[in-house]
Parts: sequence; structure tokens; C-alpha cells
Amino acid sequence: MGKITYKRLKGSQNMRQRLLLATLKSTPVLIEDIHAGDTLPGLRPHEISLLRLFEKLTDDCLIEINETGTKLKYKPGIIVGGSHLVHDCGFSRAIGYFLEPLILLGLFARKTLVIILKGITNDSKDPSVDTFRSTAFPLLRHFGVPSEGLKLEIKSRGVSPHGGGEVHLTIPTVQHLTATMWTDEGMVKRIRGEAFTTRVSVQLGNEMIYAARGIFNRLLPDVYIASDYRKRLEAGNSPGYGISLVAETTSGCCISADTTVSYPRGDEEEDIEDEGKKELIPAADVGEKLASVLLEEIEKGGVVDSTHQGLLFLLCALCPKDVSKVRVGKLSPYGIETLREIRDFLDVQFVIKPDPSTGTVILKCWGSGMKNLSRKTT
Amino acid sequence: MAMDSGADGQSHKAHRSRHSGASAKKKTKAKNKDQNSDQKQQNPKAFAFRSNAKAKRLQSRAVEKEQRRLHLPVIDRSYGELPPFVVVVQGPPQVGKSLLIKTLVKHYTKHNLPDVRGPITIVSGKQRRLQFVECPNDINGMIDAAKFADLALLLIDGSYGFEMETFEFLNILQVHGFPKVMGVLTHLDKFKDVKKLKKTKQRLKHRFWTEIYDGAKLFYLSGLIHGKYPKREVHNLARFISVMKFPPLSWRTSHPYLLVDRFEDVTPPERVQMNSKCDRNVTLYGYLRGCNLKKGTKVHIAGVGDFSLAGVTGLSDPCPLPSAAKKKGLRDKEKLFYAPMSGLGDLLYDKDAVYININDQFVQYSKVDEMGGTTNKENKRDVGEDLVKSLQAVKSPIDEKLEKTKISLFSHNDRKRRKAIFGDGVDHSNLKSTDEENEGDEDDDSDNDNDEGENDRSNEDNESCSGSEFSDGDEEDLKSEEDDRSNEDNESCSGSEFSDGDKEDLKSEEDGMGNISKWRASLVERASKKQNINLMQLVYGKSASTSNTSTNEVKDDSENEESDEDEFFKPKGQRAKNSIEGLGGGNINTEDCSKSTKISELKNWKEEEVYESIRDRFVTGDWSKGALRNQMSEAKTEEDDIDGDFEDLETGEKYESHQKDDSSNGGIQKEDDDAIEERRLKKLALRAKFDAHYDGSESPEEETDVQNGGKFHRSQANDSGYYDKLKEEIELQKQINIAELDDLDETTRLEIEGFRTGMYLRLEVHDVPFEMIEYFDPCHPILVGGIGLGEENVGYMQTRLKRHRWHKKVLKTRDPIIVSIGWRRYQTTPVYAIEDQNGRHRMLKYTPEHMHCLAMFWGPLAPPKTGVLAVQNLSNNQLCMKPKKSPFEALN
Repeated sequence: MGKITYKRLKGSQNMRQRLLLATLKSTPVLIEDIHAGDTLPGLRPHEISLLRLFEKLTDDCLIEINETGTKLKYKPGIIVGGSHLVHDCGFSRAIGYFLEPLILLGLFARKTLVIILKGITNDSKDPSVDTFRSTAFPLLRHFGVPSEGLKLEIKSRGVSPHGGGEVHLTIPTVQHLTATMWTDEGMVKRIRGEAFTTRVSVQLGNEMIYAARGIFNRLLPDVYIASDYRKRLEAGNSPGYGISLVAETTSGCCISADTTVSYPRGDEEEDIEDEGKKELIPAADVGEKLASVLLEEIEKGGVVDSTHQGLLFLLCALCPKDVSKVRVGKLSPYGIETLREIRDFLDVQFVIKPDPSTGTVILKCWGSGMKNLSRKTT
Repeated sequence: MAMDSGADGQSHKAHRSRHSGASAKKKTKAKNKDQNSDQKQQNPKAFAFRSNAKAKRLQSRAVEKEQRRLHLPVIDRSYGELPPFVVVVQGPPQVGKSLLIKTLVKHYTKHNLPDVRGPITIVSGKQRRLQFVECPNDINGMIDAAKFADLALLLIDGSYGFEMETFEFLNILQVHGFPKVMGVLTHLDKFKDVKKLKKTKQRLKHRFWTEIYDGAKLFYLSGLIHGKYPKREVHNLARFISVMKFPPLSWRTSHPYLLVDRFEDVTPPERVQMNSKCDRNVTLYGYLRGCNLKKGTKVHIAGVGDFSLAGVTGLSDPCPLPSAAKKKGLRDKEKLFYAPMSGLGDLLYDKDAVYININDQFVQYSKVDEMGGTTNKENKRDVGEDLVKSLQAVKSPIDEKLEKTKISLFSHNDRKRRKAIFGDGVDHSNLKSTDEENEGDEDDDSDNDNDEGENDRSNEDNESCSGSEFSDGDEEDLKSEEDDRSNEDNESCSGSEFSDGDKEDLKSEEDGMGNISKWRASLVERASKKQNINLMQLVYGKSASTSNTSTNEVKDDSENEESDEDEFFKPKGQRAKNSIEGLGGGNINTEDCSKSTKISELKNWKEEEVYESIRDRFVTGDWSKGALRNQMSEAKTEEDDIDGDFEDLETGEKYESHQKDDSSNGGIQKEDDDAIEERRLKKLALRAKFDAHYDGSESPEEETDVQNGGKFHRSQANDSGYYDKLKEEIELQKQINIAELDDLDETTRLEIEGFRTGMYLRLEVHDVPFEMIEYFDPCHPILVGGIGLGEENVGYMQTRLKRHRWHKKVLKTRDPIIVSIGWRRYQTTPVYAIEDQNGRHRMLKYTPEHMHCLAMFWGPLAPPKTGVLAVQNLSNNQLCMKPKKSPFEALN
């Protein structure tokens, strides 16, 4: 069994799903042409950080990167997990970027995963840690993950340019997931949220809350948005503020939206958008805008919001060999990409049926029969 | 008549009851028992417990016993037809294994089997098929046989007693899931002394029981008559086999596997000529068992290695169950059997051909005869004969032809048919070839028709105007004339498209504006039906579709165009574009964001009509509407499916209106339907659960403790609520799976769930070492097992092992042993260790004498709790290392 055959892939797209699925299925992958055409070719800092995280969690994995960083060889090892782990996520992407693969990796690890993640907790690009706690964890419960073990503590918040946030994450292990029939989206019964401010005035948080409530109040009385004012050590290194909202439905679905406003990081990527962001958006506008985003997500329908589609599909595909059926709103590009990666790696195809009367999409799949091979039995 | 009269006159001898001997004893025993039980009922207090402590002890014992009886229910994931059950006949050499199989086959099929090689499939009942396999007498063969056996018939030479093979095989069976076992004693005619025979039977039975369980069935075959086992006894044995139930075994229900009953080398002969030791391509045939097999699964061929499947095809069942007609028993015609390795069975089904074995003396078809006289004698000939002849002359198989054919709007069978009718005389010379061409053409026709329809539809989608079926018809005639001149399908195709478009344009102008809107409405409806395919195509690309690519492209385009015009389609059209631009396109380095970063123009949610539009999604809104949202859509999709089949261009509108009626008045109805559906599922689950329960209570383990049985059953009904719930959940999930899968059409279903169990499959495997062909032995069954997720990679494993008591020596660390886990057998070097009090693992140089120890070794990983078995040596038939069922884990 000496020779390893690598699955060949191209480009840095869907790096997270690819690495995750490769690790879960233990398929060695070889990714070429990573940012090959860019002025700064090769792996981005967050991608390197992600690889380091995978290396930390697994045993006997092999990562080889060529000199320019455009080619990556990854031979996955056994997912070990364990406690007392610390990972610095860097400043190029938020912690949310790392959390998404980490959750699934943790579920199929040998030991319960307890890890401290440092970096940017809230970001406009990635789902915030609040959203994870409020949406992704309930999502896991639908697939038979015990909710007691799941824990995410936000020790300190950090926003975009200099980070400084810290979260403590605990993920239990499972032997296998359970398939779900989850098509009932229910009706929104309450809206919860959290508005945070770091190194800025408390008043900004209250403004956001006020503005968001102004929109919801006409639809629902049960709206409660907490304010989380962080200062000193807990507030990280940069000023910023943001809000994350969750709508809970009668059938237990959580639909979330979040955003963060902070000063852009200047040194790494010169995005055109960043130029315009010299002035921060006023807090009231942020609240209003995010409330609208949430309502739009609700309007789209489905049991999860567009952000969590990828996670949902992955969970469905990793179920035992039973039929899972879920309903989502409009398929997001990320969701579609995830579906393709699932097909490539796990050989699981979804039956995708649109539901014209509600504008939603119903997906069915036959799970791959994933089992936790590394878990210890007594 | 004479006999009757004689019988009338004769007076019957009165029955004399026995006063001594076995049956008399039995009777008195039974009588005593009755009396005892009567007494018990008369004075129940006399048998109650007297002390508290004793009562407690009794109770706890009972509970404990009951708990031990419970096993985690195994999920049976076989959804298809039941594959034949494998009956492995095992025993030491010269014990009568082959003879038993022969007589059983004779009993079932009335055929004589010359020799037993490879699996033999027979239809044994209306619902049941059996596959007999003879177990070879080497350790490898026994290990493989233990992995696929549903029932093991252990043949024991009664005159000699037990031999090591039997026990070795039993131990192997126990590690690999322990299927059903039945002992069969043979050579009992060697005993001259009846008493001695009885004693021996008794002794062997008890020894057998200690090995398996008390009450295990041991069958006696009393001897040979004309070189065969007595008919009556074989009949009884068959009866035992036919009523046997086979509980699912956990390893097998989670892995697909095949017992290969036909095996062929399909390497191109040139390659073999060049190098006789080159890697070969082989095809393996067999019934799929265990669970569903997906196309991408890797398989392990026992003793050969891991391979990815180069091709899987489902073939028609070579030994099908009789059709379900209401009659008792099997007709002789239905008593099929199939044993290609033994060279029996007249029909051989392959992927692209059916081979018929006909004895030479019956039929003589030759080409010479054909060439000479076909043309003239055409009409006088038998139809069947013609058919066979034409089949003989086939140049290329039908599937190749199908591949070669191209889309053409207009079928040119008209031309052919016309020629045949008019009798041009030109084609008559090679009439037999036209015959088969026609056959092929008929297939082509149907294809063409389909394509035609699709093309038409798509064209109309483009132009969004009314249909032109009749004009097509006109053109078809024209076209067919053209075809006579030039046979180029492509040209004709493109030409017709243009003309179609022109005509439609004209048409739409004529019809005016009113019609257009109507058409659009119908288009919306029709497109919504088509989206099913389109969405999957968008996500998974073109390869998923079965129809032609060209038509698909047209469809996609049309959808995009529509989406521009039509409000209804906006979101999906956008999605299509997005996926085409951003995902399908060239950018392979797109940023990996789950959040859609660009939040496009938001609606103004402060406006009343905007926020009122989603009012029903909130609890403050209309609850009934909100609830309807789910149910409606469910029902709607189902309806769509059904109507999609009947979709017709011209009548499309009618169907639509019908549907609308349905959905408008049927809101509550749908709700009812859903409830009914749910109830039905529950009921099915309950019934299945009951069945399972019922089966369970019949199992022999329970029969042994009949005395306590009643008590346990009662307590079980009260206490094991959790267990019942678990079983019910499993059953419900199964029913849901079946219901959901039944919704899908056959091709998607195949893609989603893979090949179902019970199908006869043909697996093609490439680059197999030539030794497999070279040393192929039909008596040594080939096992092909599917590899689960993550089981193909290697690593260190930790297992618990114990030296078997029959193995003479202890084992030494780093001495190579041969391990059998899951489907695999491989050689590895273990390191033995033992866990100390402080939790540390201390390496041991030698295994302990009578204790379990840990063994660490490197090898392909297997899921935890798989049984492991190790042998030190294959050559001498001695089992060396036998662990208990070992929980083990991947180390590393």
C-alpha cells in the first residue's frame, strides 16, 4: 500500500469544503494553481492558517506546499481532536471561516474537541461567532448531535484590522449522525439578537437595536436584542460595532443574519470596496439594513438561511444510509458549490426539486454512511 | 376394486398402547407434568418466595437476564427484492458435501447435477431462492465462506465423530457475525448396532450444543440409498432450510457484497499474447447483498485486493422468482436453477447479449443454408426462425447502434417501410439485414420521437408562440423524400429547425396578442415542471442528464430568456446566470465565503405592502395560510410529477386548469392526505415491528428457556419501552426511506441510492493481478465486498486478542500473523501489550496464556467493534489465534 493516489483539484475555491471532505473521507488531495495568476501568487494567510488548524487536529497528516505556494499536497490523517488546543486564526479572515469546517471535524474526532481560537470574532465577510452559537448549534441538534456538549464562549471580541478576539469552543464527538426530514419551516415566533460594540460608545449599540426594532415591531412583538458592550481587554484591539439577529420559528428553525462595521484592514488586500469605507456606516443604518436582510432571508423561506446551506448539505450527506429531506430558500452559490464538492468527494447526489408555490427548493439525499472510525470504544 | 372389497372384510387390529419403551416413558412424563402444573395452580402460594432477599435476588436476576437477551436492533437496509440466501455446506473431506448439494438440487429442481463447482442458485419456493456453496477445506476458503454464509450446514461424519474442520469453521463463523448454523450427521449407516448409534447421536448432539447453544439443530442423514441420501430425509432437511429465518448481521447490513457466481476474463487477447503476466480485466457476476452499492464504491476482492469499479451494470435476474400468481407450490417450469460455474443452465445473460445453449443435435442453423435460400422462401418461413437467423447476422449489437445514431427530427422509418411495401427489389437481396435494421430502427424511432418532442418544445420556448405539430407532420413527408436523396441526419435536422421557427413566427403573428399571454401562462406551468431536471443540471452539470446535450442547451437558453421576461422566474434565472458566470466559469480561485457578501438592493421593509407580504411567515399572521405553505407545496410537487408525465403540447392547458382546480379547492384535502399518509407509514412501521417481534420470539434461543419464557415476555412488554421505541424508530425511518425513494424515477433513483440489493450485477474490474485468472478455482468461491467510507486507508489498529485454546504455543511479538477483519485478510506483524493498573500499556514479548491482551498492528482500518481473527499459518490446517469478539480502534 505504498503508493498514494492523489485526487487532483485546481484552484483555491472551496478550500474549506475540499479539505474537510478529504479529511473526513481520508482521500489525499493535490490542489494546483492556487492563486496562480495573481500578483501575489500562492496560498493566502488564512488558507495557511486553516491548514495549520487541520494539522493540529489530525494525526499523521502530511502537508506539502511548493515554493510559490501554488501547489498543495494534502494527505489527511486521523482526526484526533483533544483539549488544550490553541489556534491563532490570523487577521485575514474571521474565526467564522474556521468554525464551519471545525464543527464537522470535531464531530468525527476521536476525543472531544476543546479549542481556543484567537483572531477576529466578527466580520462582515464571515458569519460571526454569535450566529454560530445561535444558529449552527441548533442546526446540529436536528442531526442527532447532543446539545449539551456544544459550547462556544466569547471571551473577548475583536474586529477587523487587528482582531484580538478569543473564543472557547467545545464540540462533542458522535458515532454517527441521524438522518432528518426537515421541511417544515414553521412561522417566525420570536426574534433575538445581540448588538456589540468594541472600543466605541455604548450609544452606538443602542442605536442599532432601536433601528432594528423599529422594523420588526410592526411584524412581531417578541423581539429582544441584547446589547453587549465590551471594553478594555475584552474588546480586542480595534474599534467596531455590529449586530447579529436570529429569527426562531415554531418548528425550531433558526434564520440568522449578521454584520459588523469596522475599519478595513489596509495592508493585505486592496479591495475597491475598502476605499469607500473610510467612514464607518452610521449605527442606525446598520441596524435597519440588517433587519431588512433578516426579513429578506425569512421571505426566501427554507429551514436555514442562505449562509448555513453549505453546512446543512454537508450534514445531510454525512448521515447514515437513510434519506434526508430538507427545504431551503433560493440555493446560494456557496450551497451549490458545496453540493458539487459533496458529489465529487462523497459520491452523494441530491435530488433537487423546486417548489414553485413557495419559491423554495426541496433537496433529498441518501446519506453516505459516514461513521466515526477513530472514536475509541471501551 | 378387489383391494377395496378385501379391505372391507378385514377387521382392524385394535390399538395397543405402549407400556414400556421410550414412548411410554414420554407419556408418563407428560402426565406427571400435567399433574404437577395442576397442583401448582391449586396452591400457588406454596411456590411463592418466602424471603425478601431471595425475592430481590430473583427479580434482579430476571431483569439482568432479560437485558442480556436484548441486542441493539440491527438496521436492515435492503430495500430491494431478497437475494438468494447462501447455504454454505461445510465439512471435512469425504463427508458427503457435494452429494448433499446434489441431492438437495435434485430435490428442488429434479435435475441431476454432474459436479458441484461454484455457487448454485435455485428457486426453492414462491418467495425464496437459495444458493448452495461448497466450502473448500482450506483456511482461506473457510474464512471467505464464513463471511457470506446465511446458513452453514456443518456436515459431520457420524461414524468418525467431530473433526477439527468443523470446529475451526464454527470459530471463524463466530467472529464474523455468526450466521445460522445447522449440523448434519452423515455416515450413520456405518453403525450396525442401534444402541451404539443412539449413544453416538446423543453424544455428538451434546457436544454440538456446548459449542453453539443448547437446542441447536442437528440433523441426521441415516445413510445412502443408491448412492444418494434417502428422499424422505432430504425432503425434511429441505423443509428445515425453507422455514429458517435469517437475522441481519451488522457488518453485512452496512456493507454491500457479492458472492461471485460467474467470472470472466475480458482482457483484450492481444495484451495477453504480448505478456501473459499482464494485469487483467475481469467481470464478476453475482447477486448484490447487504446494502445498496453505489457506482463509485471501491470493492475488495477477498484474497486479491482493493479495486475501484470500472463498470457496474444491473442485469436481468438469471434465476427469477416465479410471478406472484395465486397458486400453491411451484410449477416445474418455475423450478429454475442457475449454476454457470458448474456449466448448467441454458441461458446466459450478459450486459449486451443473451447466450442460449442449444444442443447441437436439435438445431442446425448455418449461414450457408441462409445465403442460399432466403430471398425466395421468405414468406413460407417460420417467423421465429427468421428472427433467429437475423440475430445471427447481427454485425453490431443494438447498444452500439444506439450510440451511433444521431438525433434527427424526422424518423426515416417511413422511407424504409415504404420500400418494403412497394418492393423495389433492390433491398430484397439483403432482406435479412434490413430485418434487423428495422428492429434497431424501431428503437431509434422511439428515440427520435422523444427528441422531436423535446426539440419542439424548446423551440417553442424560444419563440413563445403556439405549437406547430401539424405543420411538422406536413414537413415530415417532405423531409422523408429528401431523406431518400441524402441521408445526412444533421443537415435535415438543422434545416427543419429553421423552418419550424419561421412557421411559428408566422403563426404567432396570426394568432395575435391574446394568445400570447395564454401561451405564456402555460409556459410558466410547463417550465415549472421542467425545472426539476434543470436544477439538478445546474448544480451537477450536464452529465447528470440522460437526454441529448443539444436539446439541453436549447432549454437552458430558453429559460434564461424567459426569466428576463417573466417575473415568476426571476430568482431562479438569476441563479442560473450566477452559476454560469461565477461557478461554472473559469474563475477557480473564487473566495470561499458562506455568506453571500454582496447584499443586492434591499427592499424597503418600512413600506406597508412590503412587510405585509411576509406577514404570514410570522406567528402574528394567518396561521392557516402559514401551515398551508408547507402542505400545499408538498402536494403540489407530487402533482407536478404525475402531470409531468402526461404533458402534452396541445392539451397542456387543459391539464393545467384541472390542476388549478385541484389545488384551489383542495387545501384541506391535502392536509387530510398528509395525515393519512403519515398514519399509513406509522401503521406499516408498527406491523413490521410486530413481525420482527414475532420472529424474535420464535428464535431457538428462547425456546430453550421455555420455563421462564412466559415471565420474561410479560416483563419485557412492560419494561423495555426504550427498546421498542428504538425498533419503532428504525422501522419508521425505513418506511420513510422507501416512500421517498419510490417518488423518484428509476434513473435518478439509481444515481441517488445506487444499485438495490437483490439485483444481479455485473462488475467490471480492471488491472487485476493475473494470478487471479491463473489460479482461479471454481470450487473456491470469490467474495467481493464493498468498502465503507474511510476503510480503504491504512493505519495502526488496536485490538483485543486471546490465544485460542487449541493453539499449542503462545505467540511472539512481531511474528507475522494473518488477520481477517471485515472482508479482508492480510498478513501483518502485531505488537502485543497489556494494560497495567496505572493505565499504561506494557509491551509483552509473548501473549499471555489464558488472558486477553492488546495487539497493535498496521493495516487497512476497519470500524470499531468489528470481529478479528488471526491465524499464524495457512498451510497446515490449524487455526492458531482466536480472539473473542474484539472491540478495537484505530490507533495511530
